[in-house]
Amino acid sequence: MTTLAFVNLPVADLGRSTVFYEALGYRFNPQFTDEKAGCLIISDTIYAMLLVRPFFGEMFGRPVADAHATTSIMVCLMVDSKDEVDRLCNAAIASGGRKYKDVEDRGFMYGWGFEDPDGHVWEVGWMDPAHVMPEGEPA
Amino acid sequence: MPTLLFANLPVENFARSRAFFEALGYHFNPQFTNENTGCLVISDTIYVMLLEHAPFAGFAPRPIGDTHGEVQASLSLTAPSREAIDEILAKAEAAGATVDPEISDRGYMYSRQFTDVDGHIWTYLWMDPAAVEAH
Repeated sequence: MTTLAFVNLPVADLGRSTVFYEALGYRFNPQFTDEKAGCLIISDTIYAMLLVRPFFGEMFGRPVADAHATTSIMVCLMVDSKDEVDRLCNAAIASGGRKYKDVEDRGFMYGWGFEDPDGHVWEVGWMDPAHVMPEGEPA
Repeated sequence: MPTLLFANLPVENFARSRAFFEALGYHFNPQFTNENTGCLVISDTIYVMLLEHAPFAGFAPRPIGDTHGEVQASLSLTAPSREAIDEILAKAEAAGATVDPEISDRGYMYSRQFTDVDGHIWTYLWMDPAAVEAH
């Protein structure tokens, strides 16, 4: 059975976040989306659950951190081309995201990133598959 | 090529974290692991990068938050069965995690969570495939 990952993130305004992520070309799974939570589909194994802040705090029984003030997670997505990296980051910035870092181009590896409206940091990158060794093979 | 997830989390002591996640049955990809950073392999598309505070702060745009007192994000992972979840939670507890006594069991969905030594919250869930509509 394939493992699925859900990155759970608090958001101040789910409507605003929905508009933002839809502008990046993503869609939400309606089965797990309501007024308190949005299930953002990144791939068939990767999802982000966007949860309104009071609900998020209740779920975990702790105060919800302000991602505009501190950084305790950075979510990195590796996509299948440099063009896709640029498309996602440019769409994010055009939709109210903030650039998080400049383009880093090392030839075999390319990436930059953005912050979403809640301050969550997303890095988007591409890696030349030929450069990545088969998993588990020591360097 | 499928999209890959690398969730980057700060840890206080990578050797301690490495021992913890190895005790859960996971391994680290040696190509992206050194003495203060490790690439925890969850699946062929899902990875968690554990970075000690100094290297994490080198990438982060803002200071690292209080990962024990507050919560900024958490990770949920699916597991193949209830028994698999109970097993990983038992290993986590034996390795020093704080296991949440609450078990959520709605029949078609079962989930439990623990807090690791750095305060990061991990939820494991099983969903009856028949109950999950194709999207």
